[in-house]
Amino acid sequence: MMTADKEKKRAISREAARKRRRVETDVFEDLSRLLPLQPSVRSHLDKPSIIRLTLSYIRMHTLLKENMKTDAGAGDATWVQHGLEVEEGFNGGQNVEQKECWAFMQSEEVNMYLRVMEGFVMVLSTEGDMIFLSDNVSKYMGLTQTELMGHNIFEYTHPCDHEEIRHNLRLTAEDVWCSQKRDFVMRIKSTLTHRGRSANLKSATWKVLHCQGRAKVCMASSAASCFLLTCRPLPLSHTLLSTHTFTSQHSMDMRFTYCDQRVASLLGYRPNELLGRSIYDLCHTLDTNCLNKNHLNLCLKSQSVSGQYRMMVKGGGYVWVESHSAVIPSSRPSRSRPVTHQPLCILTVTYVLSGVEEPSLQLSLDQTTDKYLS
Amino acid sequence: MTSASAAGSSLSMEITRKRKGSTDNQDLKPASLNDVEMEEDQNRSDEEDQHAKIKCFREPHSQIEKRRRDKMNNLIDKLSAMIPTCNPMSRKLDKLTVLRMAVQHLKSLKGSSNSFSETSCKPSFLPDEELKHLVLKAADGFLFVVGCDRGKIIFVSESITKILNYSRTELIGQSLFDYVHPKDIGKVKEQLSASESHPRERLIDAKTGLQVQADLPVGATRLCSGARRSFFCRVKYNKIAVKNEEKDSHPNTSKKKESQKYCTVYCTGYMRSWPNSHLGAEGEGDGDKQDSSQFSCLVAVGRVHSSSSPQLNGEVKVKPTEFITRYAMDGKFTFVDQRATTVLGYLPQELLGTSCYEYFHQDDLPHLVDRHRKVLRSKDKIETNCYKFKTKYGSFVTLQSQWFSFVNPWTKEVEYIVSTNTVVSYDNSRAGRSSKKAEQSSNSKTSEECKKSLPVIPGISTTSGTMVYAGSIGTHIANELLDFNRLNSSPSSGNVSPFSLPQEKSPQTLNQFTNSVPNGETSEMEMPGKSTSDDAQAASFSAGDSLMGDNSNLDLDSVVGPGLSNLTNDEANMALFMRFWETDTNLAETIDLEEMHWSL
Repeated sequence: MMTADKEKKRAISREAARKRRRVETDVFEDLSRLLPLQPSVRSHLDKPSIIRLTLSYIRMHTLLKENMKTDAGAGDATWVQHGLEVEEGFNGGQNVEQKECWAFMQSEEVNMYLRVMEGFVMVLSTEGDMIFLSDNVSKYMGLTQTELMGHNIFEYTHPCDHEEIRHNLRLTAEDVWCSQKRDFVMRIKSTLTHRGRSANLKSATWKVLHCQGRAKVCMASSAASCFLLTCRPLPLSHTLLSTHTFTSQHSMDMRFTYCDQRVASLLGYRPNELLGRSIYDLCHTLDTNCLNKNHLNLCLKSQSVSGQYRMMVKGGGYVWVESHSAVIPSSRPSRSRPVTHQPLCILTVTYVLSGVEEPSLQLSLDQTTDKYLS
Repeated sequence: MTSASAAGSSLSMEITRKRKGSTDNQDLKPASLNDVEMEEDQNRSDEEDQHAKIKCFREPHSQIEKRRRDKMNNLIDKLSAMIPTCNPMSRKLDKLTVLRMAVQHLKSLKGSSNSFSETSCKPSFLPDEELKHLVLKAADGFLFVVGCDRGKIIFVSESITKILNYSRTELIGQSLFDYVHPKDIGKVKEQLSASESHPRERLIDAKTGLQVQADLPVGATRLCSGARRSFFCRVKYNKIAVKNEEKDSHPNTSKKKESQKYCTVYCTGYMRSWPNSHLGAEGEGDGDKQDSSQFSCLVAVGRVHSSSSPQLNGEVKVKPTEFITRYAMDGKFTFVDQRATTVLGYLPQELLGTSCYEYFHQDDLPHLVDRHRKVLRSKDKIETNCYKFKTKYGSFVTLQSQWFSFVNPWTKEVEYIVSTNTVVSYDNSRAGRSSKKAEQSSNSKTSEECKKSLPVIPGISTTSGTMVYAGSIGTHIANELLDFNRLNSSPSSGNVSPFSLPQEKSPQTLNQFTNSVPNGETSEMEMPGKSTSDDAQAASFSAGDSLMGDNSNLDLDSVVGPGLSNLTNDEANMALFMRFWETDTNLAETIDLEEMHWSL
């Protein structure tokens, strides 16, 4: 039963609540004005986002202060010195274009770097919060820097990859002393459409990202430790392949179904000798694990970069190689492309990194004699 | 939809559009609205949230509110943890106070350090200088620009000092080729060259993986600005610790290769042309003009590959008294590490193709047979006891081995057995008796002796009609497994041996996985059966540490759970992969392979 008295009390409390909310909104507005944002972006932020971005701002500030401290300790005054020397030396003896190039590169170094890398920078906390993302992230993921910063990576990545991500976010004793590297592949949501426009999160697709970087341990407080990563979407783009690369196609179990002619000059096998052979037979046994991981990445995430491993050369010895692979979906013949039915397969580009090492050594069966070939 | 909900959803669309700052559909309207609207909006957005939820389930309004509050409280907690003035407070501060303190803190940050000052033209979260440091620290890379004609280093970033230990002054103006390994010079030249020595470019159709002929005129893509380059090369690095003082430490080309230290650098970049200064603006697209007033260069990033000495690349650690061998399923050597020679006397090629059973001492046979059987059926590493292995000279060494079957992650068939062998002792005992047995002749007397002295091995027939050669033991064990698998194909393992004849396709079994015997033809993959993709979707990554460690092999089942192995026809296949590659609420959208271009 609502008495007049009760109603009055309710009205008072409602007014008080409104007043509180007004004050709160004002403080939020103050906060947002202190953040380095475009006005258009700022006006559309909601309260949780303002807090997220504030957190990022503070964390980055701490990180950079730490960075400068450690850099200064390592005697980086020499960098500045070099810089000056170079400036001076550069005024003579270089032609105009080269000077322009230099000047341009100096001022655009970071942007060039990110452009060349075809990726963006991500700073992750030990809990997976995306503290910072370079603003070109929207180019690769559709979502913008301000939309993503401060959110947690686990909200945007494929559940099957979470365990691996968590593993990479664990700090070890080695990280403290020599900042260990991180190198892993994960699937992340992307709202980019075919036409390059940004759809909303509900219709996001998965994009495979190759993340490489380092742990950065903060001695003062471990909560401030983080991971600096460069993230590149796979597959990598159009690239001129050299005579030191060969392409191959494999069935899903990694047996060769096609190999280009170059393999003959690089590994000694003719393409048809390789058909049906498993890549596991052709690699050095100690690298089985590396290829296994690569294979798994392919099966689960459809893209992979193998890291270095050894392939046995026919007749003796081995070469160090690295393979970049992708799973090609199966396709049916169509009017526009009347080729025979193509099943699911793996397309690989293999870079040969070294010359033939230990050419007289025959370690594997395939190298010894022709009679063992099927 | 009723008119009320239609109104609600159209409102919600408006609000969604406005709410660019957040991708969380729980979040409220922009903070800049005044409180009268706020209250109304609160109701509207509640409604709208409810509409959003209606599709999946009806969530009580209070739950949504609670979640929103919790999220906000969580953020406030994090904020107070970050602000120095909040920390000393023993009691938990209220929201407003924390926010106020945050404002103060930001003001102080901006005031004190000049590195965070905003420029009026483009406020960015990190000024470029900071970002640069961050990026380079993360990537261990250096940016460089080299002219295409002579490989002259035009620009190199400061980070090269830390990576290759050269100062910028040393490098600017030098030729890149002075630092590249002699054997890689040709490769690098090719990547930089503007020559037209190459035939018509070959491309691979990313959709089919087949080679197609390109109709591009020779050299066009090479000279195009924007054309990408990616290559590895070995680069000298400066071993002397002291920076740039000693000019004599500068490596000269007459030094022998052995005395130089090289590391593998992965270079990736693109071609760019620098126009004549009179032209002014950067010419992005005019690279195809072979204008002599422009010069082409490669803008690239070099990163030292994870291990400069490749031997340290995460391989199984092997001690000097250890060597690695690889056996086919039947025990025949398919790979022998060169370290075996110092232990066994044989060169690898002398062992390859022969069966390990020819070298095992007869006393150890029962045990090793048992281990062999076990390793083919287990995912774990199997340890053997100490056993004797016959060397080339007739004597025996005592070894102890760790075996595990490496299983193909896709087919779940055993590819081979990897054996890490440790030398226990070089003891020479039992030379006499063993050397007689060691003769692998078809001499009936010897084989009779073998037969007599061969202990009964369970499962291997020793009836009078059978000649038991040591070598056949392995084959027998392998066949045992194949027969066993053929008879008992269980749903969670694909059990077709690559060594056997093609299996008959049985429509009943859900998971038969047929491979045609490799005969130089391309293998076709046929996967009859029904789709069970739901299982796969529910699975989670549970391999945990084993993926990172060098433990026994991983297979898809342990990682994704049963279901992936129940592969089907290609359509269902695709659907299966799509589930892995898409979000829950999304319908299939094909992977964009247009980004994937491979050109030769």
